[in-house]
Amino acid sequence: MKISLNWLKQYVNIENIPLDDLLNKLTLSGLEVEDVYDESSKLKNIVVGFVKEKKKHPNADKLSVCIVSTGNEEFQVVCGAPNVEAGQKVIFAKIGAVIPNGNYTISKAKLRGVESFGMLCSESELELSDDHSGLKILDPSLQEGTPVSDALGLNDVLLEIGITPNRPDALSHYGVARDISAIYDLELKFPEIRISESDQVISKLAEIEIEDTVNCPRYSSRVVTGVKIKESPVWLKESLRKIGLRPISNVVDVTNFVMHELGQPLHAFDLDMLAGRKIIVKSTSVESTFKTLDSKDRKLAPGTLMICDSQKPVAIAGVMGGENSEVSQNTTNILIESAYFNPSGIRKTSKYLSLGTDASYRFERGTDPRGTLLAANRAAQLIAQLGDGQIAKGVIDIYPAIIKDKLITLRISRIEKILGYNVPKESIHQILQRLGIKIQNQSSSELQLSVPPFRPDLEREIDIIEEIARIYGYDNIPTVEKIYSTLAKKYDESAFLDNLKNTAVSLGFYEMINNPLQSAPSASLTGNEIALLNPQSQDMAFLRTSLISGALEVVSRNIKHGEKNLMLFEIGNVFNKNNSDSISSFNDFNEKTKFILIITGNEREKEWNFPQTPFDFYSLKGLVNSFNSKFLLDNVLNDSYYFTQNRIFDYSFDKKIGNDVIGIGGKISQQVLKQFDINQDVYCFEYDVSLLQTALPSGKRHYTDLLKFPKVLRDFAFIFDKSVTYSQVIEHINNSSSGLLKSVKIFDLFESDSLGPDKKSMAFALEFYDIDKTLTEEEIDKEFNKLIVSVSDNFNAKLRGN
Amino acid sequence: MILEQITFVSGEFDNDISSVNSLKELEDLRIKYLSRNGIVSTLFEKLKEVPKEDKPAIGNKLNALRTSITDNFNIVKAKLEQKGSTTKLSIDLSLPGYQRQIGSKHILTQTVDEIKSIFKGMGFSTFEGPELESDYYNFEALNFAPDHPARDMQDTYFVSKDFLLRTHTSPVQVRVMKKYKPPIRAIMPGRVYRSEAVSARSYCMFHQVEGLVIDTDITFAELKGTLVFFAKQFYGNDLKYRFRASFFPFTEPSAEMDITCYICGGKGCKICKHTGWLEILGCGMVDPNVLINCGIDPDLYSGYAFGMGIERTAMLKYNIQDIRIFFENDFRFLKQF
Ligand SMILES: [Zn+2]
Repeated sequence: MKISLNWLKQYVNIENIPLDDLLNKLTLSGLEVEDVYDESSKLKNIVVGFVKEKKKHPNADKLSVCIVSTGNEEFQVVCGAPNVEAGQKVIFAKIGAVIPNGNYTISKAKLRGVESFGMLCSESELELSDDHSGLKILDPSLQEGTPVSDALGLNDVLLEIGITPNRPDALSHYGVARDISAIYDLELKFPEIRISESDQVISKLAEIEIEDTVNCPRYSSRVVTGVKIKESPVWLKESLRKIGLRPISNVVDVTNFVMHELGQPLHAFDLDMLAGRKIIVKSTSVESTFKTLDSKDRKLAPGTLMICDSQKPVAIAGVMGGENSEVSQNTTNILIESAYFNPSGIRKTSKYLSLGTDASYRFERGTDPRGTLLAANRAAQLIAQLGDGQIAKGVIDIYPAIIKDKLITLRISRIEKILGYNVPKESIHQILQRLGIKIQNQSSSELQLSVPPFRPDLEREIDIIEEIARIYGYDNIPTVEKIYSTLAKKYDESAFLDNLKNTAVSLGFYEMINNPLQSAPSASLTGNEIALLNPQSQDMAFLRTSLISGALEVVSRNIKHGEKNLMLFEIGNVFNKNNSDSISSFNDFNEKTKFILIITGNEREKEWNFPQTPFDFYSLKGLVNSFNSKFLLDNVLNDSYYFTQNRIFDYSFDKKIGNDVIGIGGKISQQVLKQFDINQDVYCFEYDVSLLQTALPSGKRHYTDLLKFPKVLRDFAFIFDKSVTYSQVIEHINNSSSGLLKSVKIFDLFESDSLGPDKKSMAFALEFYDIDKTLTEEEIDKEFNKLIVSVSDNFNAKLRGN
Repeated sequence: MILEQITFVSGEFDNDISSVNSLKELEDLRIKYLSRNGIVSTLFEKLKEVPKEDKPAIGNKLNALRTSITDNFNIVKAKLEQKGSTTKLSIDLSLPGYQRQIGSKHILTQTVDEIKSIFKGMGFSTFEGPELESDYYNFEALNFAPDHPARDMQDTYFVSKDFLLRTHTSPVQVRVMKKYKPPIRAIMPGRVYRSEAVSARSYCMFHQVEGLVIDTDITFAELKGTLVFFAKQFYGNDLKYRFRASFFPFTEPSAEMDITCYICGGKGCKICKHTGWLEILGCGMVDPNVLINCGIDPDLYSGYAFGMGIERTAMLKYNIQDIRIFFENDFRFLKQF
């Protein structure tokens, strides 16, 4: 909201307050000054000049050479204006001045051979008006050398103030002045309203009826007759222009002026356009259409509060007037509407129509139900004054149920209890009174307060404490130096996620954070996606169902940037619908935390004496197993392998505990890679974090004694049928060995013509030891030979010679 | 006899060693003189044949010979080894080593971690909550009236009439207060969503860290103390700060905390919109209505809450101009942190 300080000065005397201090205190009290514009700043180096002498330019007929005095200095200026004469007071832009119209800087110049030290200006050059016919001739009584900003009263400061939604009372100059009066303990003044009424009685001219008193608790009105619609005077046009409004005509300008003065939105009807000269305030019962004064047809929901005449609607109450009753050039008789509407009703209508106006903005936050008459009077006075009209005798004021003050008890002890500081009693009293809150009764421990309805936000004791604190100044409440903690149990719900992240980083992965809002193809790839009702764009219209598509998008983008070797991880929530289509409870969807590892490109780039190593399926499996190892899950989870292509993977594997799949991954299928425009192999694995967490071995970790006896290593190689898998052999070896065999590892695998077309060779390294003693050669030979026989027999495999 | 031999061997060794040029040749000499069957050992063997009265003198001579040969041998060996290391290597040590990639957490995670650790030090617990929330937790329980313009402060993505993507981490406050009884000291990091057009300054989702303290005798003064301590830990000890009045439906009184702009030192610049101040968080005393909604008696307990945006914090701290870069996950960006 824009506030003009010159305008504000009518209500509170701020002459002696330094501007910086005022802006700072307003901001600290909750009226945040977001921007400041000092009008005089654009007229720097432009002063009142006295034309001492005028001579003809020796080389140009249309130019003259003037000597301009600024009191203590004289300047030679070449001027092209026809109306310049010696003895005039003019606007003189000195060297260094920036001319507002065109934004150019005045510098020393030579015009047709004559030097010029400045420029004499027209109104249009200073953007004071469109008049560029000649020089602006100033009042001869002005002192030469005076800054033009002071001489012409262009010294206003305009503020942009951010008003929080709880403060409708501050949506006007008077309202801001009230806060200033409280902050500085200054008197709040209101300009005197003088109404001189004609003999015509208002009740003979118009009639008003409220049908829906819930949505319209009060409707006040004045009638002004014989009004001439014309341009507003300069002071009014300037006032509006400064706060960003376009002047239209005297009547419309007055309604806008009063709204920005008092915060009460007004509407002016052409009384003669109202059928039956009657206003009926009622809500619609069916869907209907209405043409607003911006010539747009608006579809109205049933239950919309409308201002009607005896035949038809003439305005959408509190939002916008109708074209059919708008003030026009031919209007002579005006009915001023100054009403109080129910805030939530106006908000509903404004939301439904997607139509917000200055009026609806104020009504939906809550205007002052007590201020309607004052505003109607103010508007009537100004309309009569500026349009040569007569104010009809009396008012119409329909106000069926008086809205009372709110009575609030303030316990003095609560102030210190909440703020941690005892605000002095005098300050409390002064702040409350300046804010318009009356102290009805007081004791040593309590204040009985009555709060007028222009502060809808003040309902409870705590609200009053906030008022005291914000006006007294948060910075005046001390900052406590010692903070006491408690011995209550501490929790850390993000500890496990932190642990996952740290482990991924230690394996060389970089963390990514992706937008969970996705396009339909991305979200539907992996689940039953949930749609947003109100998306910003189709690219972000669904919630992700897994972390895979987001990760693939990142891979795709990076490859395009030339980053082809990637190890990335993400931890984030994914969302899937359960069976039902609509979401009305937490049972209709599930939100799960997932953790994805994704790799692509080379694990190792080619180096000067080292070949490149591309990532493959086994890289992925190895990383996943390293991960599981860190979390002591080596022997807890079971792998299953899937050789056939599914929706996402060419081939894949999962990790289960019982029947629960805690993670799944594999090689991304060509089809999916194509969807994401990727042309290199990608492998990923996605964990369900909560299942992973439940799979973790419970209980405390214990130290295991370090081995005191030597390990014995043996190895053997067999020729197997090709159909025999590694895991079958490992499982068999593990099952048929005694506890002395502690680990088996495959260290060689090959196929060759010499082995035969259906054969392959696998070589295994075996590690034996006993934690209690040194094993003898005989013990190991016995165990080892037993295994050789067992493997040979079971797989029909042939032991290869050493 | 033996004395002449000793003298002869000594001279021969001097002769031999002076012509040694490599460790290999030196090793041959060691075998010739000092090995088990070498010349020196052979001479010691001959000591047995020497008459008893001559043994001490000749033994001394033999010992001196052995010491002299051994010493000379070691000196030459050390010289040759040193020489060998500079001249005999044929590898280029200036070639690059095999560097390994060390991963890293996203800069937003690092920022949250830093904030978490400061509050953890003050005895705060950490809690999390769902992102797809009900209207009740996100708005109603936090004292947002159904038709109040305060709801416009947070443009909301809905998935149904009553379910939405949380617009702030404050619903976790409600969940924590309902689950645990006071005293509560908690921070709640998480992701939030706002239906805003994507630009350099705003994104459709971002991260917050929310804080909540509920106990008997919690005051606004303590709120200030806690947050000033935090800001000094996080932004530096010499900062200036101010608290200005603001409005949030779930706190009363409400405030925003500013610190002096550390880009311009408070003189005014583009980043601080020429005010000299940077807003770092919103805070306030928990509104009694919220306490009541969570089953806590506002006459017995009071508390404060605060919340800060992580992206904004990280942008200020690392001089990042465009919020979108956090979520592009460009590897070149990720590797910088
Ligand atoms: Zn700055």
